[in-house]
Amino acid sequence: MVLILKFRNILFATLFIVSITSSHSWGDVMKQGLQIFNEKAGCAACHVLKHAGSQGNIGPNLDMSKDSKNVAYVKDMVQNGLGVMPAFGEDGILTPAEVDIVSKYVAKVAGK
Amino acid sequence: MRKINKINSSRRNFLAGSATVAGAAAAASVMPISIANANHTDGGAKGLPSWTGWKKRSALIIHSDKGMETHRDAIGNSVITPLRHVYIRNNMPTMSDAQIGNRNNWKLKVEGVKKPKTYTLAQLKQLAQTTEATILQCSGNGRGFFAHKPRGSQWKTGAAACLIWTGCPVSAIIKDCGGLASGAKFLTATGADMPAKLDPKKALVERSIPIKAQKDALVAWEVNGVNIPNSHGGPLRMVTPGYFGINNVKHVGKLAFTAKESSVKYMKSSYRISPIGKKGSQYPSCWEMPVKSWIVSPLKSAKSGNVVVSGVAMGGTKKVSSIKVSVDGGKKWQKAKFTGPDMGKFAWRRFVFETKLKPGSYKIVSKASAGGKSQPKLRMENRRGYAHNGWLDHGVDIKVS
Repeated sequence: MVLILKFRNILFATLFIVSITSSHSWGDVMKQGLQIFNEKAGCAACHVLKHAGSQGNIGPNLDMSKDSKNVAYVKDMVQNGLGVMPAFGEDGILTPAEVDIVSKYVAKVAGK
Repeated sequence: MRKINKINSSRRNFLAGSATVAGAAAAASVMPISIANANHTDGGAKGLPSWTGWKKRSALIIHSDKGMETHRDAIGNSVITPLRHVYIRNNMPTMSDAQIGNRNNWKLKVEGVKKPKTYTLAQLKQLAQTTEATILQCSGNGRGFFAHKPRGSQWKTGAAACLIWTGCPVSAIIKDCGGLASGAKFLTATGADMPAKLDPKKALVERSIPIKAQKDALVAWEVNGVNIPNSHGGPLRMVTPGYFGINNVKHVGKLAFTAKESSVKYMKSSYRISPIGKKGSQYPSCWEMPVKSWIVSPLKSAKSGNVVVSGVAMGGTKKVSSIKVSVDGGKKWQKAKFTGPDMGKFAWRRFVFETKLKPGSYKIVSKASAGGKSQPKLRMENRRGYAHNGWLDHGVDIKVS
């Protein structure tokens, strides 16, 4: 049973890595994601994210929110905005690829 | 403009689909990284943000550092919610002591009256005082029950509290200012908490409610016997009895009696109750709260024999008149009794229902009535998951052993 579970975890992890690396390597995602976060999108101005060294306090602290680790949730927020947060995707502030990269970056590093 | 409780009649007419919130411009990209003085960077004691570290961590579900929900069983049985347990929902960063300065010197500007004035908090305390018990409830309380998972904190029942406020009646301010200017149709309150470099059109918390609400409204400096904490909008907060939380503007710096609703985003496009897949200022704003109730005990299990079901019931802007409980998912209803002090129509009533239950599984639900209307069975489907008062979702599944 334990072996089956371990095998399943390895399989999921492998599939996950393959899905990520099919378009960008993790190194690219981390580097570009950080850059978009701090510069192009300016997420840093409004959010705390320890990994990015940001201390903005308009929106939620991304290290404290469990939703920040959910890439689909983050992507939805970046795409559509909420309240005072701009709709970075819908309003064309970021390209679809950039929305994808910055969302993956945030979900990967939040809380770390 | 229709009221929320009127839209309930057409609650199932909304279309299914997905939607988005209109975005604000990317002002963020040119802003400095650190804006306000409050320290939002560390986790604070026991996992709470440092700026509201006085809260009781075990009473709260932390959705984020800007959204903290009271556990369903943590509102207590004393009608009034303990302040350390009260939820937090912030649209702007909480103002720090340094930003607020001397609380008695806090200023409130009043416009749309015959003799516009600016009061200090000390002057308001001398003008007139009233004390009222009201319910503070986030518009999205119950969002966590919506099947389409609207964006935003997934509140279940705990973005609500019953609190006692002391402050100056808005009606006394109007009188002191020589009466309303002609054409005033809305009471518009503005928060002073927006960081200076944000665009007011997109970030200013300014809310307009119908002028009739002025007769019950107050600007409060005290809650549950203490100065309103910064994280709950001190030193001065707009209190709009019967209206959703967003209208109870924190850190209020201006009251204006206006001919039109505010044009800022938080009024014009946010907090609109629109069908799933649609948005816009033509839809009703989150104003008056509808009748609602929920059970707070038991929540999961009970011993067979005598079982006491208890909860809270509210009428919004109407006095809650009756409360019924069903232990079979709504097939058969029985009247429950209100208990504890009646603190007026804007407070909730605690209710109890004593029944005998044999071992088994039960779906226990409650249904309140007020002003001739009862809670609907189902939620009013809407894009952002606002104003949920359906009784079915608020029920509890109990194992009796």
